[in-house]
Amino acid sequence: MHNIANTFMLMLEGTQTTLQIFSITLILSIPLGLLISLARLSPLRLISRLVEIYIWIMRGTPLMLQLLFVYFALPMVGIKLSDLTAALFAFTLNYAAYFAEIFRAGIQSINRGQYEAAKTLGMSYPQTMQRIILPQVIRRVLPPISNETINLVKDTSLIYILAMNDLLRVARTIVQREFDMTPFVIAAVFYLVMTFVLTWLFKLLEAHYGKYEV
Amino acid sequence: MENDIIIQMKNIRKSFAGVPVLKGIDLTVKKSEVLAVIGPSGSGKSTLLRCLNNLETIDDGSIQVKGDYLVQSRQGRAVYADKDTQKKILGYMGMVFQQFNLFPHMTVLDNLLEAPVHVKNMKKAEVLPVAEELLRKISLFDKKDAYPSRLSGGQQQRVAIARALCMAPDIMLFDEPTSALDPELTIGVLNTMRQLAQEHMTMIVVTHEMGFAHDVANNVIFMADGGIVEQGDSQQFFGNPKEERTKLFLHSMLK
Ligand SMILES: Nc1ncnc2c1ncn2[C@@H]1O[C@H](COP(=O)(O)OP(=O)(O)OP(=O)(O)O)[C@@H](O)[C@H]1O
Ligand SMILES: [Mg+2]
Repeated sequence: MHNIANTFMLMLEGTQTTLQIFSITLILSIPLGLLISLARLSPLRLISRLVEIYIWIMRGTPLMLQLLFVYFALPMVGIKLSDLTAALFAFTLNYAAYFAEIFRAGIQSINRGQYEAAKTLGMSYPQTMQRIILPQVIRRVLPPISNETINLVKDTSLIYILAMNDLLRVARTIVQREFDMTPFVIAAVFYLVMTFVLTWLFKLLEAHYGKYEV
Repeated sequence: MENDIIIQMKNIRKSFAGVPVLKGIDLTVKKSEVLAVIGPSGSGKSTLLRCLNNLETIDDGSIQVKGDYLVQSRQGRAVYADKDTQKKILGYMGMVFQQFNLFPHMTVLDNLLEAPVHVKNMKKAEVLPVAEELLRKISLFDKKDAYPSRLSGGQQQRVAIARALCMAPDIMLFDEPTSALDPELTIGVLNTMRQLAQEHMTMIVVTHEMGFAHDVANNVIFMADGGIVEQGDSQQFFGNPKEERTKLFLHSMLK
């Protein structure tokens, strides 16, 4: 009666949803976070203030609340999003705020002399950022970005409240139906595998971008 | 005679948060001149160089380089040239910093190629021989593929000089190029600068190396409290300083 292979297949499907949310959020929120950090550092006070408020709201309220808000409030004002889009929307806006703060700290940690050297060589501000500052920032932000990325893997489980069948929700459904804890154990192993692979990938990236260090 | 003048700074005034740091400096540099700027800490030497190089903006005065005005005084206020003119003028000058400021994520060779390729839009193949020749000149050709962190401070500073030279400037500005170095590492850097002087590069050198100022510089300026206390031809300046303050300073430096 109890079919472990079947359980496994169901959970693999759930993992697909989890990975989908994870990867799309990551691909969207990292560049968005970078843009937001540049706006946050803008000399135009209005822009930097607005961005500061945005970051404050995103980091100061639960991600769960933000998910529910997007899911229930937006349809009330006539914006109808699919479950997946709603989830991606909330995740991206939330994670972009965290990434923005990481990038901001990274950018601010670069010595002023780097900007001055670039300037005296005639480089424009966009050139300086793109060619001199950001490559160094990447190296410095990789460890905190790695942390946030691993958090994101686990945070994807929050979408169970939107009735989406991610890894954790599938596991819970089976547990409730079969009165068997195995799916939870399998889910734990799946999460561990994902975070292990990520940790390993980030190690490779750190080694690649850190090759200029002593 | 007039044509020989390459830099003319007049009545440069600069304050930081209301505190005057440059109090009306006049300065003329001729083509191929090596000018040493000396003076106690906080006297405004770095600020003077940084104003010339547009790393700081001045409050009043005028700066002319190779006949072009970077900034002009109008009714007691400094009015800057348009962005394109500024860019052109800044291209006349290369700068070497106390802290080297090499780009750590690029190899030595890429540090040299960066600006010619991405600012002047030159072909890499075109710049490469120039860059390699410069590296040979500073005896660091064998380090061309190394990252700056693998070099000694003295080697890094020589690369920084080569990086600035790779843009083919008419004037080189040095802000205490050897102050961050251990004494035994200063020699290589000073020799590189000496060689540049022999090749008739126009140079302004802020320095605490009195030997270098005495032997290499044609003229010396002694600054204190945001003003020029004494200036003159280096033999005369060191041989027979006139101001009491200069004498005291030189005396303290010899100790
Ligand atoms: N960005 C700044 N903001 C505020 N004050 C500054 C700034 N830069 C320089 N100053 C002040 O201006 C004065 C002159 O500084 P400057 O760096 O030009 O002196 P210096 O002659 O180069 O000294 P040193 O030999 O120590 O390098 C100092 O009192 C310094 O504190
Ligand atoms: Mg200084």
